Amino acid sequence: MAAADSSAEPAAGSSGTNESVTKIEPIRMPTVEEMRAQEVWNNCAVKSVASGVMGGGLGLMMGLFMGALENPIMHDTMTGRQQFIFTAKQMGQRSWGSCKAFAVMGLVYSAAECIVEKARAKHDIVNTAIAGCVTGGAMSARGGPKAACIGCAGFATFSVLIEKFFDRHT
Amino acid sequence: MATPSPIPAGISKEQAFSMAQTEMEYRVELFNKLAQTCFRKCVDNRYKEAELNMGDNSCIDRCVSKYWQVNGMVGQLLSVGKPPM
Repeated sequence: MAAADSSAEPAAGSSGTNESVTKIEPIRMPTVEEMRAQEVWNNCAVKSVASGVMGGGLGLMMGLFMGALENPIMHDTMTGRQQFIFTAKQMGQRSWGSCKAFAVMGLVYSAAECIVEKARAKHDIVNTAIAGCVTGGAMSARGGPKAACIGCAGFATFSVLIEKFFDRHT
Repeated sequence: MATPSPIPAGISKEQAFSMAQTEMEYRVELFNKLAQTCFRKCVDNRYKEAELNMGDNSCIDRCVSKYWQVNGMVGQLLSVGKPPM
């Protein structure tokens, strides 16, 4: 069926193109391992734990970076080695706090989005908005209901924008 | 899926073969209709990515189970006798 370019008669499908005929792959049914992997990743708990771990990693990196940026340089009170230990401890504390915050954020967002999408049975931008609202509200619930509302709206807007940014090719 | 019914004694080989053929055609038609219906209902036709999302998966689960249930019910009603509509 696929004719070479040097053949005498032109191939029916590639009369317009100059390049060689692209091979059309047959439709491949998923293997058992692929189906099992899909089942595993469809589980809300697995997905949210994985997101939490990734968020924790991101928070760790960010905390290390931010902690390294602000260090009070006190040349007169401590020696170099003490300063190094102090800076390292501060960086560690900072990054651990940031890691926890980001891990919780990732876990809550992923769990909310997974549950909402499973319940609605649709893949929409509404899922990300609702999940963002839940995450923002949960994170800023300490400041009272007004802060929770503002956190909900803000984080929902943020997550919708990020989703639209990563999803350019419509 | 329903277990295939055992061939009752006294039926010739050609009859059994044609029965099996009819059954097979019915099954294939059922599968095609099911796949087409649930695909049209559940999968958004903007085709942003090649894999099924979780929402699509749960929609397909529900669609197939409903279709199968209705199919079973209608089959039962038809096999009992035509109900007065």
